[in-house]
Amino acid sequence: MTDLTTLGIAEAGRLMARGELTSTALTEAFLKRVELVDHKIASYITVTADLARSAAKQADMEMSGGLRRGPMHGIPVGLKDIYETAGVRTTGHSHLKLDYVPAIDAETVRRLKDAGAVILGKLGTHEFANGAMTPDQPFPAVLNPWNTKYQPGGSSSGSGAAIAAHLCMGAMGSDTGGSIRNPAGYCGTAGIKPTYGLVSRCGIFPLAFSLDTAGPMAWTVEDCALMLDVLAGYDPNDQGSAKTAKVDYGAAAHRPIKGLRIALARSWYDHGVTPDMKKGIDEAVRVLKDQGAAVEDVVFPDLWDYHICGRIIITTEAHAIHRQEVIETPQKFGYTTRRRFQLGAFITAEQYISALRFRRKLTQDTRAAMRGYDLIMTANQWGAPEAFGEPQPIFHFLDKPSLTMPFNVTGQPALTVCCGFGSDGFPLSFQLAGRAFDEASVLAAGAAYERTTTWRSHRPKL
Amino acid sequence: MTSPKVPTLEEFTARAALTGLTLTPEDIEHLHKGYVGLLTLMDRIPSHWAWAAEPPHVFRADE
Repeated sequence: MTDLTTLGIAEAGRLMARGELTSTALTEAFLKRVELVDHKIASYITVTADLARSAAKQADMEMSGGLRRGPMHGIPVGLKDIYETAGVRTTGHSHLKLDYVPAIDAETVRRLKDAGAVILGKLGTHEFANGAMTPDQPFPAVLNPWNTKYQPGGSSSGSGAAIAAHLCMGAMGSDTGGSIRNPAGYCGTAGIKPTYGLVSRCGIFPLAFSLDTAGPMAWTVEDCALMLDVLAGYDPNDQGSAKTAKVDYGAAAHRPIKGLRIALARSWYDHGVTPDMKKGIDEAVRVLKDQGAAVEDVVFPDLWDYHICGRIIITTEAHAIHRQEVIETPQKFGYTTRRRFQLGAFITAEQYISALRFRRKLTQDTRAAMRGYDLIMTANQWGAPEAFGEPQPIFHFLDKPSLTMPFNVTGQPALTVCCGFGSDGFPLSFQLAGRAFDEASVLAAGAAYERTTTWRSHRPKL
Repeated sequence: MTSPKVPTLEEFTARAALTGLTLTPEDIEHLHKGYVGLLTLMDRIPSHWAWAAEPPHVFRADE
């Protein structure tokens, strides 16, 4: 019999619509696997088994009565533990929020529940979506399911690890400088950072107001599209929220890509990625060209420019958000998180404003370089993740520029797509970024690539 | 941008005392390294902006 936990969201939805699968059976399969396997990778902080069973039963009753809420109806998902959930503790992976039980759901959680999704539990994260996993935090570090001696990437670490280990069908992550795309890349899942303003951040612990985005992660690009269908949309309670036309992202994931023009930002990664990564991306370019897309090298502003611009903004805004706590209870933060939040106290107003001005310039320059193209393609990560035994620098961002930061700075949508596996067994991946609010083209290209390659049949063994 | 002089550890410690933060000597040492690193990278940010031509308000990608 098929292991139900290896089904995709799209496939499970079709089976449930035909009455060949119940949400209860699906949810029980995931709860059982979480019980059997999660102790090996520590992806969950809180498992909400009773609530999940109750939601699954409700979904089954509705579907058997002819009510079909959409593609997420009856689908078991997890939430990064910075998403507020009514009646369920939301810790931010921090001693500071250990006993925090919100009264209402984050807007995104509300939308998922309204769409009939089943919440399995809360997933591990870098503390407040910024610090590293350090031993002085209240929960164990999440491990990479492809090799548990290595990090899963962050900050949406539990989301990436749980999806790869099929401990949930999809999960919510957040991305301020790459926190959806890093764990997606290192764990071999798909994940999309939507355009700034497309998905509400209301009820999600903030890291940097002007860069924070919330988005879905799943095993396939199509499944991310189905999640985005229920998440996207204006929210008056999020001041960054944009009023946009409704788009059918699930349908967009099936669009042909013939004639799509893709600008390859090769200069960002060509001299820094591993040979395996370079080969994987070259091969992905060939696959996209075979499907009718035009892929051409284009020069964009220097990667370090985006990196320092984003870092100054994150460091300053994160300090402003957490200033009171780092003054009053610094010992409650992990030692890395504390210092990253303290650093913003030394940034001057002039430096912060200059970074914001630089952001606008970089956005305009990127738009100009992209003229005549629909998408930007580049590497997602430099190579394999870091091993746990290696000493972790407090300020990790000083050594190498982030490949994900450009699209946080410009606000564009950016998708992570797995493009194979290196000789070390770790996933390889690339990013596709689109024009603001053109998630549809991004998802179309990513899904088209996945449909013609076999990487989605390869799962970690735990 | 206008490159401020890279502070020595002693200068940085004096400045840290004015931030309102409770910092251990080890904290200050780490923060000094982090700040100097950021300062070096900040050299990439242009130093002159035309007044009003480059408004800093960038919160929407759909402008």
